[in-house]
Amino acid sequence: MTAPAKPPGGEGIVVVGLSHKTAPVDVRERFAVAEGALPALLARLSAKPEIAEALFLSTCNRVEVFARAEGARHDDALRAVREVLREHAQVPTHEEITSYLYEREGEEAVRHIFRVTASLDSMVLGEPQILGQVKEAYDLASSAGALGNLLGRCLTRAFSVAKRVRTETALGAGTVSISSVAVDLARSIFGDLAGHTVLLVGAGEMAEAAAKSLGKGARSIRVCNRSFERAAALAQTFGGTASPLDQLEEELVLSDIVVVSTASPTYVIGKDLVKRVMKRRRGRTLFIVDISVPRNVDPAAHEDVDNCFVYNVDDLEQTVAEGLRARKSEATRAEAIVTAELGEWNSWVRGLDVSPTIVKMRAKTRAVLHAELERSLSGKLRHLGPDERAALAQMMDAAVNKLLHGPTAKMKGENAQDLVRTARELFDLEDDREQSATRPEDEKRVEH
Amino acid sequence: MTPRIADVLFVAAALDYLVATVLFVRFLLSKTPSEKHEHFAARLVGVGAMFHLSHILTASLVWRVCPVAGVHFPMSVATMLMAAGYTVFRKRWRLDVLGAFVAPLALTAHLALRFTGQGPLDPTPRFRSAMLPVHVAMNVLGIALFSLAFAAAALFLVQERLLKQKKTMGLFRRLPPLDALDRAEHRFLLAGFPLLTLGIVTGTLFVRRVDAVTAADVARTGFGYATWLLAAGVLFLRASAGWRGRRAAYGTIAGFGFALLVLALYTFREPAKDPPKPHAVADDRALVAPVAGNANAEKGPS
Repeated sequence: MTAPAKPPGGEGIVVVGLSHKTAPVDVRERFAVAEGALPALLARLSAKPEIAEALFLSTCNRVEVFARAEGARHDDALRAVREVLREHAQVPTHEEITSYLYEREGEEAVRHIFRVTASLDSMVLGEPQILGQVKEAYDLASSAGALGNLLGRCLTRAFSVAKRVRTETALGAGTVSISSVAVDLARSIFGDLAGHTVLLVGAGEMAEAAAKSLGKGARSIRVCNRSFERAAALAQTFGGTASPLDQLEEELVLSDIVVVSTASPTYVIGKDLVKRVMKRRRGRTLFIVDISVPRNVDPAAHEDVDNCFVYNVDDLEQTVAEGLRARKSEATRAEAIVTAELGEWNSWVRGLDVSPTIVKMRAKTRAVLHAELERSLSGKLRHLGPDERAALAQMMDAAVNKLLHGPTAKMKGENAQDLVRTARELFDLEDDREQSATRPEDEKRVEH
Repeated sequence: MTPRIADVLFVAAALDYLVATVLFVRFLLSKTPSEKHEHFAARLVGVGAMFHLSHILTASLVWRVCPVAGVHFPMSVATMLMAAGYTVFRKRWRLDVLGAFVAPLALTAHLALRFTGQGPLDPTPRFRSAMLPVHVAMNVLGIALFSLAFAAAALFLVQERLLKQKKTMGLFRRLPPLDALDRAEHRFLLAGFPLLTLGIVTGTLFVRRVDAVTAADVARTGFGYATWLLAAGVLFLRASAGWRGRRAAYGTIAGFGFALLVLALYTFREPAKDPPKPHAVADDRALVAPVAGNANAEKGPS
């Protein structure tokens, strides 16, 4: 009896999903799953006879199902997962979603899981959230009893791959969004923002967005705007204080981090104003983020005034670009780590695959030889004492070990599926590969 | 037995500082810096300071010299105190990377104890005074804190320059926040200033008691006053005119430069003219000789 053919290394692992690369946000929204609905969905996946193990991952950029096919029948499992996804998204026909879904099986599925977990497939390369999201999905699937030995081990391996990538490469280094760059810079200047005041000059949408990230943890937020009403409304949102634009100098004296985003076509904050302010601040550091276009802060303030740092949109974007460039250059190293880890995973899976065959082959050989020995011991050799009998039994075991050492080593090598199949046929061994994932004790025995 | 212990402690402290230096340099220059290495290096400086202190205590017993008498020990004591001060404050003020200055400085001064200096191990009668240990102790503590202020000021200038040039990747991200460096520099200077002042006062009184004053003594005193004036100026202008950041950093670094000149003149000064008593020479040789590699051990006090 021969095993069904399947791509090597995956041991029946499949992935079906969609992500920012294949589906627009309105499609992703339809597939997204609220945390509370995940257990029911996992139960539906687990109830499918074609699926042995399953995990459901739903983030804002991807919805994916990692699964292990029952009996390593990939096509059946893929079909079953597609069906569950279609029902969940309430799409009438498969054709409507086929163009958005991607499927991976075997080794490519494992590689995909490793890459996703290591943030190599993320919209923002190297972003750290995905690892936590996969871990949460893993915990949920584990507690729902949807994970078994193989997919579970694949995921724990993926976590260690992600850790290696994070510690051995700079994939997660640098900052890659304008607001996080501004926050990072503020922290690099002031350390903890808790003791510092943020001033918003201008009360538009951009100021509001900046306040959301910079205002987190700041001592207080002040809003200074041409229209006092608008300033007051925005200040109220963040529990801050408002003032009209003619109070700007006073506000600058009181604040440490200033976000400027007005629609003014000229400088709202000039160099002379900054000089006056710095004198009144007694040299305390002032960090100004000018996100308005055209610029509202005279760049000469950055050049000529001590302890005053002015960063405009271009500066922030340059930092973002540098961060992305650095991450891309690190991605090659990260991919190499994924490939190396995949190789190790394949070796481990091959061991699982071949272990039952080797165990049976050894057991059968040993049984035949011992049966022959017993016959001789009860016939021509019956005069032998217990010591001699024990020595003969030991000799038989040693002979089995020596005889099978070569074939065993070859069967555990790369691309040895044909050898394993041949051995099963030659020794007339029944196919029990499915038990392999749940029989670690066999695996241990064979390794000796 | 004790000289051997002193040797072992000397090597242990030197190795600690050396490994910490290498790890800090690696952290600052590496493409994939490891914060674990940085923290480990910072802890190594603390361990090095403990070995360093143990070595000073053991060696001073072997040589029967007060650690705050001659010049070699005080330099070593100052850097040991600097390393200890760094260990105490680095975590609270988030200044781990300051160790990149502290470790090599401590290593250099520690090695200098063995490989440089021609001066006496014990003060000659001309300089023997009850005020001398007080003078040296105050200066040693002051210099230790001044060294930390200097290290913070130097890092401040690097960080400030990177910010002004808008180079906010790489090294920039490994240095402490700008304000933390400015605050640390100010606090170390503020703590060290009263000690330096006491050092200057006791030094002035002490010099007045010495009859023959050499040109080197005058220069040393002048540089000592310059150090004190610069430290005082930086503190006064910060309080009165809001001089912080770059200006304060330059002032601190200049002050530390003068302090180094004082130490250099002290270290490489002419041997004292007072002829030592014959029995004292013999005694000293007997005590110093077991410590291998010590230049003074071979020569004895001049």
